[in-house]
Order: sequence, then structure tokens, then C-alpha cells
Amino acid sequence: MLRWVAAKVAGGAFVLWAIATLIFFGLRLIPGDPAQALLGGPGSQASEEALALVRREHGLDLPLAEQYLLAMGRLATGDLGTSYSLRQDVLTLIGEQFWGTLLLTVLSLATAWAIALLLATWATRGSRSGRAVASGLEVVASAVPHFWLASMLILLFSSLLGLLPPVSVEGPSGLVLPVLTLALPLAGFLAQVMRESLADALESPFVLSARARGESETGVRWRHAIRHASLPAISLSGWAFGSLISGAVVVETVFARPGLGRSLLNAVTARDIPMVTGIALVSALAFVLVTIATDAIDRVADPRLRRA
Amino acid sequence: MRRAPRTLTVIGGSALTLSLLAGCAAAAPTSEEPVAGGTLIYATGDAEPSCLDPHVGGNYPQALLATQYIESLVSKNADGDILPWLAESWKESDDGLSWEFTLRDDVSFTDGTPLTADAVAANIAHLKDPQTASSTGYLAVGKIESMTSVDEHTLRIDLSAPDSALLDSFSMPWVGIQSPTALERGQDVNCESPVGTGPFIVEEWTRQQGVRLVRNEDYNSWPGDAAHEGPAWLEAIDWRFIPDAATRYAALQSGEVDVIDNPQPNSLAAATEDGPITAIAAPRPGASNRIELNAGKAPFDDERVREAFIRAAEVNDGIEGLFFGTVARSYSVLSSVEAESLSTPEYFDVDLDAANALLDAAGWTQRDADGYRVKDGQRLVLEFPVSTNQSVPAEQSLFEQIQATTKQAGFQVILEPLDLSSWYGALAAHEYNLVSAPYTKVGPDVLRILYHSDSTVPAPSGYFANLAQLKDPKLDALLTQASETTDATLRAELYEEAQDIVLSGYHVLPLYDQQNHYLHGEDVEGMRALPTVSTPTFFDAWLAR
Repeated sequence: MLRWVAAKVAGGAFVLWAIATLIFFGLRLIPGDPAQALLGGPGSQASEEALALVRREHGLDLPLAEQYLLAMGRLATGDLGTSYSLRQDVLTLIGEQFWGTLLLTVLSLATAWAIALLLATWATRGSRSGRAVASGLEVVASAVPHFWLASMLILLFSSLLGLLPPVSVEGPSGLVLPVLTLALPLAGFLAQVMRESLADALESPFVLSARARGESETGVRWRHAIRHASLPAISLSGWAFGSLISGAVVVETVFARPGLGRSLLNAVTARDIPMVTGIALVSALAFVLVTIATDAIDRVADPRLRRA
Repeated sequence: MRRAPRTLTVIGGSALTLSLLAGCAAAAPTSEEPVAGGTLIYATGDAEPSCLDPHVGGNYPQALLATQYIESLVSKNADGDILPWLAESWKESDDGLSWEFTLRDDVSFTDGTPLTADAVAANIAHLKDPQTASSTGYLAVGKIESMTSVDEHTLRIDLSAPDSALLDSFSMPWVGIQSPTALERGQDVNCESPVGTGPFIVEEWTRQQGVRLVRNEDYNSWPGDAAHEGPAWLEAIDWRFIPDAATRYAALQSGEVDVIDNPQPNSLAAATEDGPITAIAAPRPGASNRIELNAGKAPFDDERVREAFIRAAEVNDGIEGLFFGTVARSYSVLSSVEAESLSTPEYFDVDLDAANALLDAAGWTQRDADGYRVKDGQRLVLEFPVSTNQSVPAEQSLFEQIQATTKQAGFQVILEPLDLSSWYGALAAHEYNLVSAPYTKVGPDVLRILYHSDSTVPAPSGYFANLAQLKDPKLDALLTQASETTDATLRAELYEEAQDIVLSGYHVLPLYDQQNHYLHGEDVEGMRALPTVSTPTFFDAWLAR
């Protein structure tokens, strides 16, 4: 167990280093001078003195290799630097925005799971036509892009029905549309995976013997088959969490919700290197942690893995 | 040739007194009595500023917000006349090299610091300090060499060369006057909570959500064209950042917000047709929205090819179809609000036969299999980098229509949608034949920035404003003379001649005025756009609910 944890942590650290390196060099390949980003954005007509001043202050006049080593050294000590465009400590800024995005993604993941379970059990239990409808819904839901779904939900629930606010407001009513936007496509995807493995499980010998013991249909499904059927979906939840973070960029912008996704979009447009690096690292860290967690849950749900 | 139908009202150089104020028209009267109190919610689609002090950098999103809490030395009324504001009068020396501004003696910043000559001098010094990293304001005060406080409320400003645009420059929010005590707190603090003399005070800035502005109870420095006296009616303004245009409009419809900016043309057309939503149109000063033809390299170094492109480009149908009648076609390089604007529809007749004849004469006689013209084995290709941050979707579609119509004459226009940094990169590398770049500045002096050959020399950042690459000594002389002359009539003549050189040389294809549009709900009254750079002002606004 200890070796398993150590291996996971080492793997996670490697992923973070690789991401930091990729971003460092990637952002410097894009046209645009970081010194300009510091002086009010691209195309600024700041004077030569002003440019020279910020280059010196931020070490942008040093050789690239030296800048890289300095940046990695700072990151290793947990110092994410100061945002170019917002002129504040990156860690503080991320701290302000992190919880909003976490709440959004966790609620979306939970909602997606709930919808997927309902869809999957309905699809395997129902008649042939019911199954067709359910799998049709799954395919449509998983294919819908976030920005389109968001606009349609706003049009339906805010403009036409006037039930829910189109922008983020205090309280739970502002969360409904953003969570649905993120949850529906993911639910479609998870349901497809679950339905297949649920159908497989329902035909396996252990279900047959459970039925032979006189277990009710509900008991068979919820006590035995679901546990099997949810394994691939649990493994996929790590990936799903990552996709929710990227979906948050669109959803937070459309619904004007403060959060990491919207910060990332602003930071990329402004060529705000410390901010982009910081958000990418925090998202990657969250992704790594969730992946480790899903692996651990997998081991709990499936005893076979523990022996490996 | 036709002058834009406006009265010529330039008062540059002559001293103004407060007595002028009596004659100024107030904002449109409303039938009801204004109600004090309430919080107005404003949703902006412009980017969230990185600093609320408009001296730092200096872009339009900063101007929108700063108009609520920072005021300028002078203002403008709807006719374009300069109005006294924080400065009550001014005098220019005969040689135009020295100005004396007399400030109001009863105004204080919202932190209690009094408005004095030293305070104004500290602001100009702040703009010129490289540490401030000012861009727009820095350029505007470029000719100021030294400042002397004659007495507590009189400031003498000495210039390196006469500057007929000085008052225009002082009217812009980017040159607004802030508390010198607040400036001394350092940039980080001042970016969070700048202090001015305006009708509202910055209370709190919550990043990605908005800025809370509260009423300045001691306000006494309203401009002469305001509709009332005393503090603002509104108790507070909630300034929210809602980047998505459809969401913003939905929020206005559902009553979640009271005012929005940057509506899409289709929502604007729908709003003006029916229902409780009202639209305010406010053309921005300075240049019109236009396409510059880069004469600095082939094929547009040949005037015949430039004219052929303009003859082939069908603009009017696109503007009608894509903007739903919300903007009017422009035939001028200047905004229609500029009194000196010269409108010349006769240079922009669409005539495909003429375009073909011109291209034949210029040696582009062959066509390849795709129908594009070819000369010496080279296709007639025009690179057109488009900034997706600055061009609204309707404008990008307009460019596609121009691409389609000029193809008939044999041009291959390659539209390249780019993000802002890459777009500036393409321009700095001269990788463009066509480009559309907005430029907002008060007054016709914007012509000097856009078309004087000095502006082909890149700024340290690599950017140059003369994207048409116009290098005409005669034009340079006209623009320099106009910027230094104090005679209003002569100045107008010089600008007219200068614009004719730009337009008749087919260097520019004007499209439409840069317009600000604001939509507000039925219970918002008394809101207007400040005539300087068309930012909204809520001093006279009140809520009928």
C-alpha cells in the first residue's frame, strides 16, 4: 500500500513538473512581449524606459535558461509569483477563485452521476423502445457542446420561462443552470459506459445465482450489478473531473461566474504568464489528486485490484 | 466633396468663463420628478480592467469605469464645444507655448485633499513617470515640458511646441485628475481604489464580479451640461462584468441588471423595435471604423490597385444586412462627431468594370484557374489579419462579404482571425495588406497620429499607428501645421485638405462610425453618454421604481 502511494505521488510530481515546463516554453513561443503584458496589454504604446524598467524588475532580460531555472526554483518552494495583469500574488488570486470552481465541478460531477445512474438503470430495465429513447438521450447529451447548451438553457429558463437567473447570483438558484450545462453532456457519456457494463453484469453468473437465491430485481441491481457497472465510470471520473475544469472556462464566462476557468481565459488573453502557470498547476494538482482518489476507490470497490 | 453636415464650433485657444454655462442645453427632460436613492446595476461586456486608475496603461474599459469617479480639467457638450470642468478658465500665450489654467477653488477629492495647482501638476507628472507605465495619457501630455504653480489655484504649463489638441487631450478620462495623496500610496493600492472628485466613490472591487461604487455625498463639481445640481440621485452603482453578450441581454430582459453595454446588433435591433428596453447610441470620437490599405508594400504601393480594391468592395449591403440598421455607412476617416470630419462618398462608388480596367492597366492582366488575378507568376493576394477581440462578429462577417465581392475583380483576400497579441505581432512584422484598427482619441488631431509619417516609426512595443504606411511630406506638413495653429478656421481648412489627401489617394476604406450602444430597462431615467469619449455617466440617472 505504501509503495502504491509513493509511486502515485512520484508520478504526480513528474506530471506537475512536465506541465510547468511545457507552459513556460509554450507561452514564450506565442507572439507577444511579456513586458507589454505588464504595461497594460498587447499593443501598449509604453515608452522604452517603462519597458526596460519592467524587464529588469521581472528578470525578463536574463537568458531563457536562467529564467527557466529561476522560475522552477520558485515553483519548487511554492511561490507562484505575482500576476502581470492583476498585480497581485497569484496564490492569493487563485485562492479567491478556487472554491467557486471546485463547488461548480463537484456539484456537476455529482449531478452527472445521479443522472447517469438513472438513465443507465432505466435503459437496462425498460422495454426496447424505452432503451432506444434512453440511449438516444445519452448520445445527444454527450455530443452537445457546452456553449450551445448554456445558451439554450438561458433562452429556455431565463428569457422564456423567467424561472432562473441567467447570471450568477447569491444563493443556489444561480448555480442550477451552470451545473446543468456541465453535468448533462458528462451524464450522457457516463450513462453510456454504465449501461454497457450494467447489461454485462446483469447477464453474468453471480447475478443469476443471486436471483436463484430469491433476491428481488431491485436488490440485484443495487446490491450486486451496480457495483460492477460503476467500476469503469469511477475510473473515468478522474478524467471527467479534468474535462469539467476545462468546461468551467466556457461555463464561467457565459454565466459570468467568478472562478478559475474565467481567470485562465483572461490570463491567456493578457499573456499573464505567472497566472496561466499557476492556474494550470493548481488544476493539474487537483486532477492528479482526483485520479489518485479514484484509483483508491477502485481498489475498494474491486477487491481483485488490491491483490495486484 | 461634402463636409459632414455639422456646424463648426471650435473654441480652441480663446478663454472661456463660467458665464458660458448658462447657455448650455441640459439633458433631455423627463416627465416625472427624479427620485433619489437605489442601486443601479450596470453590466459591462468590456474586459475587466487590470487597474482602476486610468493613468496606468489607459484603455477603454478603464475609461468606462473611471468616468464614474474621476473628472477631467475640461469637458465637451453635445455640440463638441469645450466646457470648463475642474478648470474654470484658461489662457493660451500668443506663441502657443504656454498655458495658464485657473482651477475651481471649492473642489475637494473624496479623500478630503483639496484640488490645487500642485495636485494637477502631480497628476501630469504621474502620467509622464515611466514607473506609471501610462500609454494613452502619456501620449496625450507628450508636449508638456514643465509645470509651475502660479498661485494655489493657477497652473502654468509650458509646451515644447504649440498643441491645438491640448484641451481635447485634457477632456479625456485617461488624463483625469486624481488625489495626489492617493497617488502617493503607490500603484498597487491606487489601482484598487483610485480617488477622484467624481459623483461616485470606489468602495470595493471584487475580481471577476464587479466594482461597487457609492455616492459622493459632498459632490459639487458637475459639468456645465449636467441636468441637476447636488449629489447624484443614485445611492450606489453595482458595476458587473458579464463577458457573454447573449447572457448580458438575457440579464437585462429578466431585470437582473438595469443597463448593459456592447449589445449585439440583433439584440439592439430587437430592443429598439418593441418592448420596455431603450437604446442609447453614442458615436465615439476620433477615427471612424475603417480598413487601412497598406501602401508600404506591393500590391498596394500602386494607387491603381488600391482604387481597384475600393471600387470592387461592396460595403453598403453588408452594413444594412449585418448590422440591422444600427449603424450608418461612413465616408470619412473621422468620426461624425468630429466637426472637422470630411465626408466624400464620391470616392467610394462601387464599379466592378472600373476595378477590372484599373487592374488591367496596373499589369494584373492574367487570371488563374480559380479566377484570381496573376502577374509575373504571383497571385493578387491580400493578407487581412483580423483581431477577434476588437472586431464584433457582425464586422467579421462584413469583412467576409468584402472578401467575396472583391474576388469578382480577381483579389484573393485572406482573412486571418487572430487573438490580440498575435494580431499586434502580425502588424509589427508588416505582415498585412489590409487591416482594421479602431482608435479612440478626442479631436481631429487623431489624424496626425494615424497618418503622419512619424507614426510609421514603431513605438518601443513595435506598434505603429500609421497602418496605411502613408509617407507624404505634404500631408505631414499639413498635419503638423494644424496641430500647432491656434486659428480655428485655418485649422479646419488644414484638416480638410489633409483628409482629402488620405481619401483621394485610396488609402482608406471607411466603414461606419465607432459606436457605443447602451441598453437600459424601463425604470432607468436620465442616463446619458458623456460627449468626450462616449462613456456613460450616471450623475443625472435615477430609478423610477
